[in-house]
Amino acid sequence: MTLVAVRDDGPALLDGYRAAVGEGSLRTLAALARRLRGHQVVMVNSTSTGGGVAEILHRLVRLMNELGVATTWEVMPGDTRFYGITKTIHNTLHGWPGTLSDDDREHFHEMNRRAAMSLALDGDLILIHDPQPAGLVVHRRQPGQHWVWRCHIDLSRAQPDVWGFLSPIVSGYDAAVFSHVSFVPPLDLPAYLVPPSIDPLADKNRDLTPEEQEALLAPLDLPVRRPWVTQISRFDRIKDPLGVLDAFILARKREDAHLILAGGSANDDPEGAEVLAEVRERVGKRTDVSLLLLPPDAHLIINALQRRSSVVLQKSLREGFALTVSEALWKRRAVVASAVGGIPLQILHERTGLLVGSVQGCAFQVTRLLRSPDLRKRLGAEGRVHVRHNFLHPREARDYLAIFARLVEAAKG
Amino acid sequence: MTSLGEGFELHSVVHLVRPSGGRARNLESLRLWIAEATAATLFYHTVQCPLRHATSSELPADDLSAWVHGVVQDRETAERISFAVQGRAGSAADLREALLEVLEAVPEGDRFARSTAPEAEFVFLTAESVPIPTGVVAAAPAPLVEALDEAEPAVWFYHLIEEPWYAPGPPAIARWAREQGDPQLAKVLEEEARAGRGLAEMRRRVLKRWRQGRLRARVSAATRASEDERREAAHEAVVGLVRRITHTDEDPGRGEP
Repeated sequence: MTLVAVRDDGPALLDGYRAAVGEGSLRTLAALARRLRGHQVVMVNSTSTGGGVAEILHRLVRLMNELGVATTWEVMPGDTRFYGITKTIHNTLHGWPGTLSDDDREHFHEMNRRAAMSLALDGDLILIHDPQPAGLVVHRRQPGQHWVWRCHIDLSRAQPDVWGFLSPIVSGYDAAVFSHVSFVPPLDLPAYLVPPSIDPLADKNRDLTPEEQEALLAPLDLPVRRPWVTQISRFDRIKDPLGVLDAFILARKREDAHLILAGGSANDDPEGAEVLAEVRERVGKRTDVSLLLLPPDAHLIINALQRRSSVVLQKSLREGFALTVSEALWKRRAVVASAVGGIPLQILHERTGLLVGSVQGCAFQVTRLLRSPDLRKRLGAEGRVHVRHNFLHPREARDYLAIFARLVEAAKG
Repeated sequence: MTSLGEGFELHSVVHLVRPSGGRARNLESLRLWIAEATAATLFYHTVQCPLRHATSSELPADDLSAWVHGVVQDRETAERISFAVQGRAGSAADLREALLEVLEAVPEGDRFARSTAPEAEFVFLTAESVPIPTGVVAAAPAPLVEALDEAEPAVWFYHLIEEPWYAPGPPAIARWAREQGDPQLAKVLEEEARAGRGLAEMRRRVLKRWRQGRLRARVSAATRASEDERREAAHEAVVGLVRRITHTDEDPGRGEP
């Protein structure tokens, strides 16, 4: 089976989103959807479980159907070799060294050719996610169809050889969509910017009662009297956990607080284990720092940690879009973050949070926030509103629908 | 098209943003790209900014002056650009001329100085507007204002900022109010559309001025009304006041900003 059955039981998504974004935004979304009645959208990616794209698609497909835009979701099948090749493509597009042999390129096309025969791509609006199924357009495009390629990857450091292989394939699309302007490579088709979004109804972001928070956090044995300063990120050098620790140690000389560094277990990541060991060594016997290794499905715990924190940090040295910032802002948290990747779109300095460029700057802003509940409250409140308007799923759905409407109307002349 | 027969249909708008191809690394390349930029590019970096910060009580900085201030670190030129943009200068041609005048006033040598690193370059974007009829049609000025009160910021932006910027002159919504016999509302809409304030402030002022105008009209009518009519009018006023007091910003069911 390549068709993904999206759950449509339980309360309507629209009702949940109405509470989050308001009637006005949903009215616009519904009006846009009315323009696409009679059209058929097909989403295609390479997995129905795991990963951010699959998470988003489960929601978007259901939301678009609730809005009356017939939408299906197909998953491209592949063999072990294909997944090895697409892993190489993924890594090299992110900038890691590597290349594709002629055989790899041929196998990529062969798998896309076969999938083009088996997938139900009979809609007129086809949205292909990421490189794996990108080649479908070469083998299956029909007259009257509009094909859009949605790239969730930062291509700013892509290996030229691998992008040189994909670029002619992407040229077969009517439009491409990227998360951030810096991710856009030279292309001879319209490249739209659609930032990613978070789901206000997901476990990671939904409202939690004080009792739920208490029950989730109690087993972690964290101090309850001190204000928490928290960074939730994997233990990776680009997330700069050592820089966070240094900044906290400086701030701690001026204000009482507890630092929480929470991230995924590093068992399958040798470099992550190395970074974690360095952080552990630097923490030493300090009792004002907690290192938490969380399982991949600890969404509710992350939610509770963010909600209970006085300050949330994202002091990365490099970032993709960094939606963890929007997750914290949605919970009305005061956020201190580096001005890298997509963070400046989410943090408007001194309005929705504080941007920093150094360890000392981070220490200064953390101290400032710890000393001022009013500032934390003001930034958190504005941050929540900013996310409501710009970084929730209904906005992302709206942008896709607008792109489709644009393509359909342009074709009509 | 914004009017449906006798009624006026509110439109929202979505801006599809894409790179326009231009990149500036100093004031001179900024000047050259502004000279070449399409109206949609100038629109995105200046006029559209209030929509991106729809709930801000102040007019947010435009992208151009924010870059000149924050990256090129030329505060004086940034201030002049802000001032040029604040007036919105009537049309794309006027705005372009005003911006070029500011940049050409900078000595040529200074325009080349302080070139930024590639990662800090100003990337020109463009906005394709997709207007969206909301299906909300007002049959008269009073229901129109009630519908605006409930509308999202993009509706306010489309009718009072975007539409008149691309087609200079009184906004279509104000023309319609005048045609419907409400010159006072038309005047309020025209003045606030021209004022160059942030969206939240514009919304607040339009609604406040409209309600004040209605109150004046009621007081005037009440002096000629019977005791029962006066009592009923007072009751309506109290109900309206309570509704406004109990409306909080955190209620997303109401239009923001």
